[in-house]
Amino acid sequence: MLGMEAEMLKGHLDAIVLAALESGPAHGYAIIEAIKSRSGDTFDLAEGTVYPALHRLEEAGLLSSSWVTPPGGRKRRMYSLTRKGTGALAERRRSWGRFSQAVSHLLGGGRTWPA
Amino acid sequence: MAGLIESYVRDLKRDLHFDPALAERIAGEVESHLWEAAEAEPGYPSADAERRAIERFGVAREIASRFAADAMARQSRRTWIALLVTTGVTFIAMRLRVLWLGETGDTLSTLLPVIDRYGFVAAIATGMVGWFAFRRSFFPLAICLSALVASITAGIVRAGLFADGAPLHVLLTAAGEIALAGVLAFHVCTLGRGLWRTALLRRIGQ
Repeated sequence: MLGMEAEMLKGHLDAIVLAALESGPAHGYAIIEAIKSRSGDTFDLAEGTVYPALHRLEEAGLLSSSWVTPPGGRKRRMYSLTRKGTGALAERRRSWGRFSQAVSHLLGGGRTWPA
Repeated sequence: MAGLIESYVRDLKRDLHFDPALAERIAGEVESHLWEAAEAEPGYPSADAERRAIERFGVAREIASRFAADAMARQSRRTWIALLVTTGVTFIAMRLRVLWLGETGDTLSTLLPVIDRYGFVAAIATGMVGWFAFRRSFFPLAICLSALVASITAGIVRAGLFADGAPLHVLLTAAGEIALAGVLAFHVCTLGRGLWRTALLRRIGQ
């Protein structure tokens, strides 16, 4: 991953993690795989960086977690979005939409901003 | 001999020793993650598969330093709240002392009222500068604590509180400010230790 992309990703990691959990509960490894897959492997981040983000989001009440042991499988900590987390994700999406639109206008040289 | 994943998890757990409950939980999660990642590698089971899984995960000290930085952000918030409460109670205790002394008069030197008043003013001023400019720094909080302790000590000695039979409400607020100064000192020390540890983890992880 390019340095600039890595820096951009760090600033949005919390929102990306929330979005990865939107489709349902998942454990850390599955969240990272989902991020890689949904970004077309553009965001190939150091996998360990997701865990501090998960813990931070849980402390903020945006995620909940519990240990789950599937039959014959390995014990995993499963994370899921809380109601507050769902709201926070929607707010971050709106905020990102406004921001990306503004930057697109600025970089694209198209219409003036704000419209 | 321990495998690579076991060694990695042990190192991470050691670096997270500042929060034993967190260390235990994260160690379990990370171990589960690394085994899953290693199993997905071609050539598993092998040391190479474990090594590749660890490389993709990142350096243990860097991960630990992120947890430590988050823990320090929380500790910083707690310390500022403790400072706010201590300052409020100290102000109330000061006013009650002054009202009481207005009736009985100072029992000791003229220097103590100056330390009492200006120590408190210095704590407020440093606290405001710290809050707006150095919120994550240890030093404004340490200076505030020192100034408050000086003010509280001077105020109590000045009034000869525990010798001259002060009224109960004056004694209780004085006891409250002493207790809160102790709580604040605990938080400031915890923050100082945490910031030092975080800096150390970052330096070693680089």
